[in-house]
Amino acid sequence: MDKYLNIGKSVKKIDATSLVTGAEKFTSDFKFENTLYIVILYSPHSHAEIMNIDTTKAENIEGVVDILHYKNVPRVLHTTAGQGYPEPSPYDTYLFDKKVRFVGDRVALVAANTKEAAVQAKDKIKVDYKVLTPLYNPEKAMENSAQQIHEDDEYAKIPVKYRPDINLAAEVEITLGDIKKGFQKADFIEEHIYRTQYASHCAIEPHAAASFFDERGRLVIISSTQVPFHVRRIVSSVLSIPAGMIRVIKPRIGGGFGGKQEVFLEPLVSLVTWRNKRPAKIILSRKEVFVSSRTRHPTRIRMKTGVENDGTITSLEMDGLMNAGAYGSHSLTVLSNIGAKVLPIFNKIENIHFIGRSVYTNLPIGGAYRGYGATQGYFAFNQHMDIIARKTNQDILEFFKRWHIQEGETSNVFKALGEGKEGVDQIIKSCKLDECIDRGAAAINWYNKRGKRIKSGKDRVKGVGMAVAMQGSGIPKIDMGSASMKMNEDGSFNLLVGATDLGTGSDTILAQIASEVLRIPVEKIIILSSDTDLTPFDVGAYASSTTYVSGSAVEKCARKIAEQIINVASNILKSKKENLLLDMGKVIDIRDKKAVSFEEISLYSLYEQDQFQIQSQASHVSSESPPPFIAQFVEVEVDIKTGRIYVIKFVSAVDCGQPIHPKLVEGQVEGSVVNGISYALWEDYLFDSKGRMTNNRFWDYKIYTATDIPEIETIVVSSYEETGPFGAKSVGEIAINGPAPAIANAIYDATGVRLFDIPFTPEKVYKKIKEAGRT
Amino acid sequence: MVSAYRPENLKEALLRRKEFRVIPFAGGTDLMVKGRRWSGLAPHFKLPVLFIGHLGELKNVELEQNCLRIGSCCTLSYLLENENMPQAIKIALWMFASPAIRNIGTIGGNICNASPAGDTLPVLYAVNASVVLKNMNGIREVPIEQFIKGVGKTVLQDDELLKEIIIPIKSFDIIYYRKIGTRKANALSKISFLGLAKMKNGLIEDIRISFGAVAPTVVGSREIEDRLKGKTKKDIKQIIPEICSQYSTLLKPIDDQRSNAYYRKTVSLRLLKHFLTTEIL
Repeated sequence: MDKYLNIGKSVKKIDATSLVTGAEKFTSDFKFENTLYIVILYSPHSHAEIMNIDTTKAENIEGVVDILHYKNVPRVLHTTAGQGYPEPSPYDTYLFDKKVRFVGDRVALVAANTKEAAVQAKDKIKVDYKVLTPLYNPEKAMENSAQQIHEDDEYAKIPVKYRPDINLAAEVEITLGDIKKGFQKADFIEEHIYRTQYASHCAIEPHAAASFFDERGRLVIISSTQVPFHVRRIVSSVLSIPAGMIRVIKPRIGGGFGGKQEVFLEPLVSLVTWRNKRPAKIILSRKEVFVSSRTRHPTRIRMKTGVENDGTITSLEMDGLMNAGAYGSHSLTVLSNIGAKVLPIFNKIENIHFIGRSVYTNLPIGGAYRGYGATQGYFAFNQHMDIIARKTNQDILEFFKRWHIQEGETSNVFKALGEGKEGVDQIIKSCKLDECIDRGAAAINWYNKRGKRIKSGKDRVKGVGMAVAMQGSGIPKIDMGSASMKMNEDGSFNLLVGATDLGTGSDTILAQIASEVLRIPVEKIIILSSDTDLTPFDVGAYASSTTYVSGSAVEKCARKIAEQIINVASNILKSKKENLLLDMGKVIDIRDKKAVSFEEISLYSLYEQDQFQIQSQASHVSSESPPPFIAQFVEVEVDIKTGRIYVIKFVSAVDCGQPIHPKLVEGQVEGSVVNGISYALWEDYLFDSKGRMTNNRFWDYKIYTATDIPEIETIVVSSYEETGPFGAKSVGEIAINGPAPAIANAIYDATGVRLFDIPFTPEKVYKKIKEAGRT
Repeated sequence: MVSAYRPENLKEALLRRKEFRVIPFAGGTDLMVKGRRWSGLAPHFKLPVLFIGHLGELKNVELEQNCLRIGSCCTLSYLLENENMPQAIKIALWMFASPAIRNIGTIGGNICNASPAGDTLPVLYAVNASVVLKNMNGIREVPIEQFIKGVGKTVLQDDELLKEIIIPIKSFDIIYYRKIGTRKANALSKISFLGLAKMKNGLIEDIRISFGAVAPTVVGSREIEDRLKGKTKKDIKQIIPEICSQYSTLLKPIDDQRSNAYYRKTVSLRLLKHFLTTEIL
């Protein structure tokens, strides 16, 4: 018999019916009378000083109520990164500044009775700019001749290197062992530069926020956010409104992927409501999401390795240069993760040097994006290892198995490098990467395809490639989640969590965890997530933390409830507590089989004797961040005539601990894979010579759609992480790390052509194939 | 505000056309994109809109002895399902945008939009299609290549509507169509190539070649096609470099969002070469 009642079962997603029937509400569905519609005016220049703003003409447009800009808003330095406090991102942002730093930077906002009037008025605002020299090339950002983008009085909230005077948004460096000695020992040196590009999260729901005053004059914010509690804190500090006067409600969210960790609209709607005592609302257009929200940071990663002829890596140097864009949101932590989430996977390398620099440019702002630096790092790492394995005539699968971290092992990197500062030491307690590699290879039929260059049709050739990766499960000793629970008289339970379901299904996962502890069907759990007035604190949905961190809080909370239930039952049944068991809404005495139902227990506790509410709360912060592991395999077909890459099949074999809900695990993996293939093949930000993004709409910025999706197979390898709730680790991000390097390795396998920069557009592939004379 | 007319029949539509300057609006799949404004606001058109997509007189497909007459407001989906539609046209329609767009977009709209990347155009050029233009006074028939004058430019007069498209009946044994877009559906062509041929006794009896998205309008040359007629496969092999270089001078692609001139030109010529060497048996 199955040990679990609800864990490992693909129960019906709690909001499934209400979502498909359209009953659920997203931010834009909330309508208020007398709403002010907000439209933002953005900078047409990539770098300029605002000499003056004249709003006279705009104010004269009928329906315009308020216009905000640098002259009339609080001038408070902050970061929009939406992280825990104190944030590791630099305080380099004002609501509206006197300076604009990229095409798409905020200049002013118009609040009007209609959107039409706001749009009209926006175009009537007269802004005098003094245009400054722009800086587009991150590789030149730190040169003496480069224009300084940020001001000297901006600062980092935590003790880290931050030098706006040289456009340095962040720097991290670690050295382990003796890198020079390692290189001397090597038989050969392998060194390459890998480049990754800008990308947009493309959550189907654009960023949106609304605010209003409730009956008692408190500010209520409804926002499409991943971080409701951080929203409350940041709005409070930027606008000097006491946190207790603010209530943040997270409705249903149409995807986040990191993009909605940023807190940049909530202060604006709040300020409009605060000044005008009217509800206010803003919904970004897709163009605004592309240009003025946040992106995946582009990187240039140089990998240098000393290698012995048997494949032993004697020294590894990783030098990452990250384009932070115009503001330093997540510029330190994403940068750190390029090393921190990648280097530990090959824990047997003794000599390591990692240096990362994030630099400001006059281009769109980077931020959190699923994978969070690991994606960029693994693109370099997996191609580099493929190159080394080929050069030393080794089977790449055996090569990975030989070098990757194993259960019971650690890596010096865990301690040396965390998210922006020192990390946390940990020993790996679960790692089934060998099995992931074997099962993934079998599913793609690896050995019958690798190196075979099978022709398909007159001008197409096939190849296979693979990649491995790990991620984390929350930020150890930082991320905290909490839950509270109470019992109702029908034996149902209210579960209140700060954790934020963005469409991920975490409400269902958390309800499964609670119901498993109490041994009741999932339907008995009534979950409410993310309302700062009602639910306890949670850092929010990021860093692959919800199942592992918030899930553990729910588990603890439910265990306390179980204890109270047993106590009451023991009074009713006159049984010893140790003889009592929870079973399907009953408490049973295992000796005499006497039983009492949850309903009876609840009624008893509420009405009969020593009355009290069965209720509890718990918080959880993890002292470690157990990584999930993945091996991903791809078969591609390269059209030699056109340079087009067709992905034929994509296999992911993942160790995410015990899957709480196998379908949702598959959903996360498949979503990440499609996201990752699209990023690898097509997605890119194109800029003209003035720094303007020219493909800022779905018409020109193509993402994978249903017709493009190849055969995708997801293998969930059986695993158990003792520190996680019911053995679970994270799964939300990891699978986006493999597609780009696996595809690059497969293109090489098919054609002998190595592509060091994403995306692999037909134009690029064709040119490379032609240059290599393979056509 | 958008003002719009919804005529009852073709005659009323033509009357409106005569009296006012209006934008004919069939499926609207291009116009709605062109007219769009800030998100959440109604689209904007410089002129009033004249809806014609619902007019039954513009939605017929008639098979005559030597030709097929296609009403301009037939949707692309409707044509795909029509049994009289030549295979060469169907192949192009299959690759057109997506089912949703094909369900509302019309063939007349695709022609009048006159985009270099219009996906019905290469095949219409190849099969020598012509268009019938009608105003209150009568009709005139214009060959497709004379109808389209440049990017977004046609000879359609302010008082005219595109009534139907005439396609001469002709069968081809070899149909080779490649549309290179970023993705499989809902993507504009980077380039498209169409090659049609009819073989008789090992000789090329008829051959048609068109290139899309590599110049302001579809590129084709009856002159070069004539040189290929009557040749064997072997003959063709010898003159391929010459043929390619002749087409090469006609291809004038540009760099844009979707691709670059180098890619467009070289890949177009590779597809041509592939058609001539491999597809023609």
